[in-house]
Amino acid sequence: MAIFNLKKREIECKIVYYGPGRCGKTTNLEYIFKSYKKQVTGEMVSINTEGDRTLFFDFLPMGLGKIKGCDIRVQLYTVPGQIKYSSTRKLVLRGVDGIIFVADSLEVRREKNMTSLKDLQANLKEYGKSIFRVPLIIQHNKRDLADEGIPLMSVEQMDRDLNRQLKVPSFPGSAIKGTGVGVTLKACLMETLKSLQKEFKWAK
Amino acid sequence: MNESMVLSGSLCFLSMGDIIQLLGSSGSTGVLRLINRYAADPGFVYFSEGNPVNAKNGDRDGLNALYSLFGWVNGSFEFTREAIAADKKITKSRMGIILEGMKLLDDGHTKKVGPATAAGKAADLSRSPSGAAIVKGPLVDYMYVVDEEDFFDGEHIVEEGKHGSWIWVILEGVVDIVKESASGTVPIIRIGDGSFIGSMASFLLQGHIRTATAIAAGNVQLGVLDSQRLAQEYAGMSREFKIFLASLDKRLKQLTDCITEYHDGNVKVDDILKDKRVLIRQGKTKEQQLYVVKQGRAFVVRDTENGPVVLCHLYKGDFFGDVPFIHLAQEPEGASIYSSENIKIAKVEAGSMQNEYNRLSTTFKNMVDNMAACMCVTADVVCHSLSSKKTAPADSSIRQGG
Repeated sequence: MAIFNLKKREIECKIVYYGPGRCGKTTNLEYIFKSYKKQVTGEMVSINTEGDRTLFFDFLPMGLGKIKGCDIRVQLYTVPGQIKYSSTRKLVLRGVDGIIFVADSLEVRREKNMTSLKDLQANLKEYGKSIFRVPLIIQHNKRDLADEGIPLMSVEQMDRDLNRQLKVPSFPGSAIKGTGVGVTLKACLMETLKSLQKEFKWAK
Repeated sequence: MNESMVLSGSLCFLSMGDIIQLLGSSGSTGVLRLINRYAADPGFVYFSEGNPVNAKNGDRDGLNALYSLFGWVNGSFEFTREAIAADKKITKSRMGIILEGMKLLDDGHTKKVGPATAAGKAADLSRSPSGAAIVKGPLVDYMYVVDEEDFFDGEHIVEEGKHGSWIWVILEGVVDIVKESASGTVPIIRIGDGSFIGSMASFLLQGHIRTATAIAAGNVQLGVLDSQRLAQEYAGMSREFKIFLASLDKRLKQLTDCITEYHDGNVKVDDILKDKRVLIRQGKTKEQQLYVVKQGRAFVVRDTENGPVVLCHLYKGDFFGDVPFIHLAQEPEGASIYSSENIKIAKVEAGSMQNEYNRLSTTFKNMVDNMAACMCVTADVVCHSLSSKKTAPADSSIRQGG
């Protein structure tokens, strides 16, 4: 559920990057923070959690127009994967509007991807959301590593693994080089807004 | 209700992180007050235009205090809108505080302050070497608990010498029973979950005077017992059983008094036992018989390594001997009975008392059992305090000699 800030005439929505540890969620966010600096409001909050970093910043997407005369402000989060960070995860996932699932293209991480996606489903369920209904985009990250001869899964195989039932948009990407980062985010924003608008019409 | 109080609720529904976000998005200025019954003092967070600028939790302030408040998973909060004068000690961004606070909590750096930890604290107390054993009672029968009360660490629950007839059962936590003596406060016993505060004497006379002080050791949750219902039950008992209970209660009171008396060192055991004859010899009698004193005086005496210790004085109407349904660890196996010359005693049929005991309500039975357990421990404390008294002067004389 997006938050309506009537004082500032803003709609605040929450987009969360989810995925197995070391898959590149943080790199995605860092790239966005660097290259869309003008649209970023406020500083980047970075918390060192075990084996990973949790990031957060506010983002004002351009050219998305207004909903009912309200600006749209996006909060971007990554969520720590470890089981023990349940309070953080709960805080981040509660009221989430859109999710970007970052999958690791390394062959050795195949199982990790699938467990993490299952995890996401379980977590969303806990907060009363269905993975099939929440706006979701999958990014197959680390495609650049193929050039270095590291065995990767094919995009088709990854879609089969992760996206067979979900049938959500998926994009190849390389967060470290920046390819696919913008596209993924934009796609997620579009999905999120679509679903928000649907929600408003529903309410009317 | 205070007019400037604009938001209040329960922390288990809206967590610290949620509240900060909420106040942040509304850009509020004011004071957030948190109340947790497991913490002695309320916590405060000061907000200026939606950003936390300072916090206070006990003697901590600033960011540390704010992070520690994330551990308050239980309790209530209220936000009052007002101008704040607090120094700006926190400059970290709102979201940074929230995420860091949550992370510290998940990492276990911030301690959770709630019911689970209170239990943990109690467990710590029972392990502490300084404290004697904690007398725990049987499972609490909630049918008789009419209200719950919380006491913080160090708070006095009842005070010696004050009037009062309420009886509590400890639902959670540890309580120290102490008595005042000429030479200061004397610890008597530690009691824990299921034990009772307040004695049977409460039923006997209105405006009963408390015989000892009860102090909460750590935070304690007490159940107030339905004393009217208990008094009614007491009133319905046979005269003999009533006297028996009163006699038990007197013994416990005497045992506690003994501790202070021995502590002050004004007991002359030899004087008391002069010209007295032994009715029951400690550990020697196989006879299982309960007696009542009809005339004269008797004494319950335990033989220890440091000589005989007088535990109780018995008068007309008091019982002694073997009680089949409760374990007192006194006569005949753990103490002797001495008596005056003019003593007259009568045998008591314990069978009917046993039946009456079996018919007691759970809570009343618990009270009797708990009283017996306290008597066992207190008797040990009496002997122990005497032996430590006796060895202490010996030490000093050596020092003088050297």
